[in-house]
Amino acid sequence: MLEGFNFRVIWEYMPFFMEGLRNTFLISIVSLFLALIAGITACAGRLSPWKSVRGLAIVYIESIRSTPLLVQIYFLYFGLPTLGLRVPELQTGIIALMLNSGAYIAEIVRAGMTSVPNGQIEAGISSGLNYFQRMRFIILPQALGVTVPPLLGQAIVLVKDSALLSLISVLELTRVGQTLTSERFMPSEAFFTVAFFYLCIYFVLKTLADWSQKKLIFREAY
Amino acid sequence: MIKFNGVNKWFGKLHVLKDIDLHVTSGEVVVVCGPSGSGKSTLIRCINRLEKFQKGELFVDGTPLHDYSTNLTKLRAEIGFVFQQFHLYPHMTALQNVALAPINVRKMKRADAEALAHEKLDRVGLADKADAHPTQLSGGQQQRVAIARGLAMSPKIMLFDEPTSALDPEMIGEVLDVMVKLASEGMTMCVVTHEMGFARQVAHRVIFMDEGSLVETGNPHDFFANPQTDRAAQFISKILTH
Repeated sequence: MLEGFNFRVIWEYMPFFMEGLRNTFLISIVSLFLALIAGITACAGRLSPWKSVRGLAIVYIESIRSTPLLVQIYFLYFGLPTLGLRVPELQTGIIALMLNSGAYIAEIVRAGMTSVPNGQIEAGISSGLNYFQRMRFIILPQALGVTVPPLLGQAIVLVKDSALLSLISVLELTRVGQTLTSERFMPSEAFFTVAFFYLCIYFVLKTLADWSQKKLIFREAY
Repeated sequence: MIKFNGVNKWFGKLHVLKDIDLHVTSGEVVVVCGPSGSGKSTLIRCINRLEKFQKGELFVDGTPLHDYSTNLTKLRAEIGFVFQQFHLYPHMTALQNVALAPINVRKMKRADAEALAHEKLDRVGLADKADAHPTQLSGGQQQRVAIARGLAMSPKIMLFDEPTSALDPEMIGEVLDVMVKLASEGMTMCVVTHEMGFARQVAHRVIFMDEGSLVETGNPHDFFANPQTDRAAQFISKILTH
């Protein structure tokens, strides 16, 4: 099956692949970090006592979740310049990934927070703890336990989604595969290698997710 | 200490509290009983405004609870509340459960708060369980930790919402013992319970509720021996013969 496989070309392009891998890694880390901020903010908005803030958060979350990521990327890529904002491809891509993952993270965090039984919150209220103290000492520590594993799952999704940035010519892993394909016409070699690297990233994150699941979910026994 | 003046509450269309007039004085132990759905839990949940009500006046320790602009955090710190389902914080040890509010609401030093927590746990007979997590404790032990958690704030009033209803029969005694001790020390207590032994032993007054109204109130001896209303007589015969 692999008899016609040209490993020499893969090796020749290895520095190029490494650059793509590094970029995919950096894009993912930065986007994930920003998405966490966006997601937690959106979640706070979603649970806010003010109707208008809640409405805004719902519009954001639902409009992202109901449209394909590729459409969102193109929307920003072609839309931002028409608004007079000239943003480089890489930054556009990171913004798109941030907004997209943020919406999903908002829902993950919300699920974590609402998993804390209401009675415990009432117990906190009864002993005179204010809103922030209840968040800090009762809700967040428990929400974290059930939130971290699905967040790592979302991180895996984000890494794979970053492949779509190749379509707005951001030089990341998939883009390297496309380049190799067009320069040497060796799509099997190119995408076999690309897939292999994604698998490596996936494996690391998955191991982390499984470990955190074991470590953190023990509290759920309640 | 606690004064209800014509309190009314609706859940949507359901009229759950009807013209409640009740005055509980300092040091008094009041037992509230009645069939399920009669509004007794709602009644005591109003006392620290875990439930809001729509009409009437309620003063607790001089604070008007019908005025929604009053900040209740301070008042709530003075009222201990014990739930049917305990509601301990499962990610904390028994000691941390008890010390949390003293540290953060009373602004006590950690060491002082933990000393206080040890003392309160000792008082409910759980000195040796300070480092246990709630999941490692039996229901009766969890409920006693919950009582210690309330006591750690040196409350003026302790409210109990069916504290023994979720417990196995052999664990009810240990919780009631703690409550009896508390009552004998002069704590102001409102207790929703069907434990008639407890009511007879320590209550100054028994209140019988049905369908959102206070139907009958009297001292425990008279109430159990010759209830004034048919509804109360029916209820007593049911709980005493089961």
